[in-house]
Amino acid sequence: MIRKVDFNKLKIPFTGLVAVMVLTFVFQGCVRLEENPSEVQIAPGSYSDISELRLGVTGIYASLRNASQWSTFYVNGWSGDDLTTHKASNKADFREADQRNISNENSRTQDNWRNIYGMIFNANTVLQNIEGTTFAGQEDEQNRLLGEIYFLRGAMFFHLARTHGRIIIPTTPEIDFEVQLASQLDVFTQIEADFIQAASLLPDLYPGVNPGAPRPNKGSARAMLARLYLDWAGFPLNDTSKYDAAAGMAKQVIDNAAAHGFALVNNLEELWALDTRFNSEGVWTIAYCNACGTRNGKFARLGWPSDNQGWGETFAEIRYFEDFPEGARKEATYRTDADWVNFSDQVTPVFKKIVGPASDDPVSIGVHFTSRNDLYLRYAEVLLIYAEASARAGSATADAWEALNMVRRRAAGLPYADPVPTETSQLDAEGNPNGLTYVDVTSGDLAELTFTERKWELAGEWIRWNDLVRMERVEQALSNRDPRVTPDNINGGIIPVQNAIIGSLGTDNYFAPIPIREVDLLPGLAN
Amino acid sequence: MIMKKRFFEFLKKGFLTGLFLALMGMQYAHAQQTISGNVVDENGDPVPGANIVVKGTTNGTQSDFDGNYTIDASTGDVLAISYIGYATQNITIGTQTTINTQLVLDQQQLDEVVVIGYGTARKSDLTGSIARVTSKSFEDQPMSRVEDALQGRAAGVTVARQSGAPGGDVKIRIRGTNSITGNNDPLVVIDGIIGGDLRTLNPNDIASMDVLKDASATAIYGSRGANGVILISTKKGSGKGKLDVDFFSSLSTVPKMLETLQGDQAGDFARIENLRRGNEFIPQSEIQLLDEQGGVDYQDEVFNTALSNTLQLSYSGSSEDMNYFVSGNYVNQEGTVIETGYERFSLRANVSAQITDKLKVGVNLFGSRGITKNDMTIFSRYQGSLVAHAVTWDPTTPIYSDQAAGLYNEGSTRSLASLNYNPIARLRQSDMQLLQDRLNANANVSYDLTDSFNYNLLVGANTLGSTTENFIEDYGEPEVGFSSFKTTGFQVSNILSWNKKFGNHNLKVTGLYEFQESEARTNGYNVIDLIGPLGYYFAELNRGFSINNNKTKSSIESIMGRLEYNLNDNLFLTATVRNDKSSRFQEGNKAGTFYSFAGSYNFTNMDFIQNSDLLSSFKLRAGWGQVGNQDIGIYSTFNSVDISGVYAFNGETRENGSTVGQIGNPDTTWETTTQTNVGLDFGFWDNRINLSLDGYKKNTTDLLLAVPIPATLVGPGKTQIRNVGEVENRGIDITLSAAIAQTDNFSWDSNVSLSLVKNEVLSLYDDLDEIQGTFGSIDGQGRVWNVIQVGEPLGQLQGATFLGTWKSSEAAEAAEYGLEPGDAKYLRDEDGNRVIGAIGNGTPTTLWGWNNTFAYKNWDMNIFFQGVHGFDMLNALRGTIVGATGNQRSFMHPEQLNQWTPQNETDIPAGGENDYGSSRYIEKGGFVRLSNFNLGYTFRDVKGFESVKIYVGGQNLLLITDYSGYDPELTSRPADNSGNTDVAPGIDIGTYPNPRVGHIGVKFQLK
Repeated sequence: MIRKVDFNKLKIPFTGLVAVMVLTFVFQGCVRLEENPSEVQIAPGSYSDISELRLGVTGIYASLRNASQWSTFYVNGWSGDDLTTHKASNKADFREADQRNISNENSRTQDNWRNIYGMIFNANTVLQNIEGTTFAGQEDEQNRLLGEIYFLRGAMFFHLARTHGRIIIPTTPEIDFEVQLASQLDVFTQIEADFIQAASLLPDLYPGVNPGAPRPNKGSARAMLARLYLDWAGFPLNDTSKYDAAAGMAKQVIDNAAAHGFALVNNLEELWALDTRFNSEGVWTIAYCNACGTRNGKFARLGWPSDNQGWGETFAEIRYFEDFPEGARKEATYRTDADWVNFSDQVTPVFKKIVGPASDDPVSIGVHFTSRNDLYLRYAEVLLIYAEASARAGSATADAWEALNMVRRRAAGLPYADPVPTETSQLDAEGNPNGLTYVDVTSGDLAELTFTERKWELAGEWIRWNDLVRMERVEQALSNRDPRVTPDNINGGIIPVQNAIIGSLGTDNYFAPIPIREVDLLPGLAN
Repeated sequence: MIMKKRFFEFLKKGFLTGLFLALMGMQYAHAQQTISGNVVDENGDPVPGANIVVKGTTNGTQSDFDGNYTIDASTGDVLAISYIGYATQNITIGTQTTINTQLVLDQQQLDEVVVIGYGTARKSDLTGSIARVTSKSFEDQPMSRVEDALQGRAAGVTVARQSGAPGGDVKIRIRGTNSITGNNDPLVVIDGIIGGDLRTLNPNDIASMDVLKDASATAIYGSRGANGVILISTKKGSGKGKLDVDFFSSLSTVPKMLETLQGDQAGDFARIENLRRGNEFIPQSEIQLLDEQGGVDYQDEVFNTALSNTLQLSYSGSSEDMNYFVSGNYVNQEGTVIETGYERFSLRANVSAQITDKLKVGVNLFGSRGITKNDMTIFSRYQGSLVAHAVTWDPTTPIYSDQAAGLYNEGSTRSLASLNYNPIARLRQSDMQLLQDRLNANANVSYDLTDSFNYNLLVGANTLGSTTENFIEDYGEPEVGFSSFKTTGFQVSNILSWNKKFGNHNLKVTGLYEFQESEARTNGYNVIDLIGPLGYYFAELNRGFSINNNKTKSSIESIMGRLEYNLNDNLFLTATVRNDKSSRFQEGNKAGTFYSFAGSYNFTNMDFIQNSDLLSSFKLRAGWGQVGNQDIGIYSTFNSVDISGVYAFNGETRENGSTVGQIGNPDTTWETTTQTNVGLDFGFWDNRINLSLDGYKKNTTDLLLAVPIPATLVGPGKTQIRNVGEVENRGIDITLSAAIAQTDNFSWDSNVSLSLVKNEVLSLYDDLDEIQGTFGSIDGQGRVWNVIQVGEPLGQLQGATFLGTWKSSEAAEAAEYGLEPGDAKYLRDEDGNRVIGAIGNGTPTTLWGWNNTFAYKNWDMNIFFQGVHGFDMLNALRGTIVGATGNQRSFMHPEQLNQWTPQNETDIPAGGENDYGSSRYIEKGGFVRLSNFNLGYTFRDVKGFESVKIYVGGQNLLLITDYSGYDPELTSRPADNSGNTDVAPGIDIGTYPNPRVGHIGVKFQLK
């Protein structure tokens, strides 16, 4: 049935085939036993070309974004009285902050710690690789790049210090298992040194970048110094001599604002819109890009409850909303168009700063990732630092009042640069009078006026908590969270506060514990 | 027949002739007559060269070319007529002077030639511990995977499916797990070529698999032998050309559905959700509708009944000086998860020829293409697998938002239950194709330099081209990915062997010089922000593009020597030494030398056995050896720079940056495994029952361990390879095979294999008594679910200890932790922190298989049971179903109907953190499975056919276990694929269920 194949006829070609295969390999000789990773990988170690430094600095930004891409970056900000979170869903890490009961197992705090030290390790590695090298003829670029490294390192030490107080401050990439927590003073001194170094190396304006200083300039470094000195003057070191430094530093930024490209935007709404994510108000902007794979995972659906396809992570405190002065700024801060009182998932006002303006709804409802930037430090805050610090230093001038009034005018929907000595109508976003009035302030307690102004201006930007800490007003603020007027449409009466305070409101509980998993590995972190 | 003769030629000369010479000395005088006769085989063909010996004398002869012989013998003498591969016939001489004999094939004897690596040995001569599985033992189990053939059939060999996906991963371990970080896969050697891949091999091509278990056996593979070696011999043709065809179809289903509040219970789901929220989030009217009509059962929707077809063709035979085996194989399997499947084509040609008396050449060619569709493990598993998403998806949200338009509800319309993308949509919209093209070619040249000297050259080349084309849809963010992985490699082995007999001393020396090189290239791109029509081939239309490239090269150069000595066929000694130089380690650490020694003594010829009715053979074996493991990532001893980091300063343009990649360790060198093995082989009742017992102790030192560096110092996820720590495995392997019944019409063969293994971590480094594993939790707690602890076996599961619920009487204490009565309660330490510690172990200690083959007239039947015991499972999938934590926001388990209430304070929490990694979800994993059942009927008189066999049966027909998940054999990989499966076994984050399969097939041979 089967035709027999005469394999014997194939014997000669078959033998030939075998011979060829054998000869091919035998004459190839033996094998190379050296690995040569440099064929496919960039060599580690010292840089021989400025392009390597460029890559290294971009890499630090990449690891910064790795740390900053989620709300995790600001998890401690939920401690403030401006922010809250879903009371029942998977937001335990945020609830711990919201309820002032942050455990040493809090995984967001832990991730944040780990990621930030990852960026610092990269920054220290780049500094080591460039040490002692000067690229002749390219000093300007080298200085800029170096300035950025110091800026980023200082910024992240500062970011962590605001959460944990005392931290470790490694300035080399050496792996040191004996590492110890630095004192609070040493931490601030190191941050200060980094920003001073950055300010001296960075140009007035970083060439070829968008508005908002996505690559920091001299002014960005000075503004961060101003923020640092304001903290330094408050809790825990309470070195009030630093108010003067804060005011001086802020003033330098203000005086050179044009050179740095800093200015308030006229319309607050622009700050949270996708189209205007790079704007002159950014004193330092962390940039994101959906299409590049460098997405921002803090906004859009995270600010809505599930009633609007939201994931209920970043909610607004009801009482804070109730107390918030009416006007253009409130409209720009919250989505007052939302029927939030009747939300069935959780009754919560919605931050426009998180979900974006209604005009962006088509690209943010049901969407998690956006290309929105983080305005890490806004020019408005620089103005307010100047006003508050000079007031607390006792050196307030008309300039200080004007700095405060610029912010206030804009909040009233008025052109920020034009003084308003007499009572005038506030305007809404469309420029129509809204029945409220405005007048510049020129007398009273400038420090306290400004402190309160910060409360409204910076609401929902994860900054409020730090103000409460430095002024030791945690208990005062957090004891006043019960809604006053918002009705509970299901159970009747006034809606109760969503996540009750559990932990201590005293100074003993101002800083988050260092993640226990890291302490277990490095005993030096324990004290 | 002729080829068979050639095949055993050297054995005949080497051993049997020698035996006669020895016997000659004991010859004594006797009254004699001349007997003549003819020896034929089972087909009636003459057998030349058969041995005819007068028992108890040295008087013997051989049959001539026509099978004829004459011999002088006396009445009452017993003639022993033997030929290798056939049962010896003992015939007592009466008055007859003509004794014609038909020999009967002896399967047991045929099996006796065992492949030991760089040569063969008779099974009776073995000194090491080698388990053999031949095609006979698995030919009645329809299978498309080689691993299925090994499972439960070789003592000491663990075969565990990692998933029920067609073409999915199967884990094989030989005598436990050695390495914490390194690879624990055994070395696969196919026809002498090192580094084969079992997944692509066609089981029908396999003649035998020899598993080298102890170090005295594996030491010849030196630096790659530490995890055991599986030597696979593919089939050769013999006899008249014959065409074999085998075709079977099977239907697979998911054997059980897990309990959820989906489908019919969606009304309960809604009520519990409202209860948890304390409001009418889901309106009563809708709940009523759910009660009446039910909700969507996403679990039911994600599975379907799957059809598979397998076709196998082979043509084999021999003619004069050539033999050939050509086979083709086609497998097409649908998966039980919708939109998944696997398809494979393979082709093999094995041809060998005796060119001259001294020269023999052979070529084996193998090509295959495998296509895997929608490999479920490629989808993100950070919140559990797609199966986990399906069993936790909101039953109140319909699959489609607009079915007519084909529009899906991408997420739960109320953000309930799983927040992941609709798993049905995900599977239907995704198209991920993994294509693997493989071509292996090897040539074998054997030349007899003299009678005792043989030179054998083996050269092999292989290429693997693997490409993945992915199109994945996620919340408005379709993504296209391409990756290509191409490897090419070659191996050249020069083997010189010398075999000489000096009186009672037989000496065999084997020398080897071998080198091997492999090069791999990886290229890929990823595309996001697609615009325009969606699909893999529209990837050009995008706004976000990234690429990655890599190339690695590794090589190894080796010399090996082996000395085999036997005295009188009673005492056997083997010594080996191998020196490997590997490119994976840096200068000064490249070379490793590995020794082994083994001996055995065969008592079979001693009087106490010869005189025993019970015991028919007895052998003692003992061996010691050292083997290595070099399996760390290529270039991993070097520091590296990672250039995959991206930042977009202008918010629009990707810019790549460099970050610190790997932190290398130039001092890295071999991991060494030292093993001692003692074995006993018994034969009872004329070897109708055979029993092998092996005990071993295996210590792996200088472990290649990826030591984690604290994230505080270098950022998250960084490790450094170091040679630290020690792991021990002790165990017993038992194999029992019995021919329980053997009559003309009925036979029953039974095989039992049993493995007991105890694993223990003896030390780590820097006096640490534990290190964290890498299996990240899926409940958003950022914990790790496995831990490696000194004094405990690998595979420790780590988590919180669940204590039920906080009761109303404990309200005050609960409040200290921000909790209320009814919330989950966990053990806490004196500081109030949840205690996180070992809560179970996922490494099995006992494995067994019981294979039965029955034949009655034309009927045959195979029943194969298999069991694994002594391990725990972390049923995180059940944790996910319970839910209300992480991105599974709702309660979904029916046990929630009995949750804590102030009136009925049960231990089922109504709130609080549901820690999936807790003792609440630890379950016993032990199971017994009916792995295979097959019933066949053979027609022997169909015109034009040699035989036709029709068979029906099934796999995984019965599973007896206390485990509440799909199947305790399956374990998940961590979402980031980090670490080693062996240190995180028994964790279920939603594996692809193991299907129950029913098959029907036909097998025939053409005349």
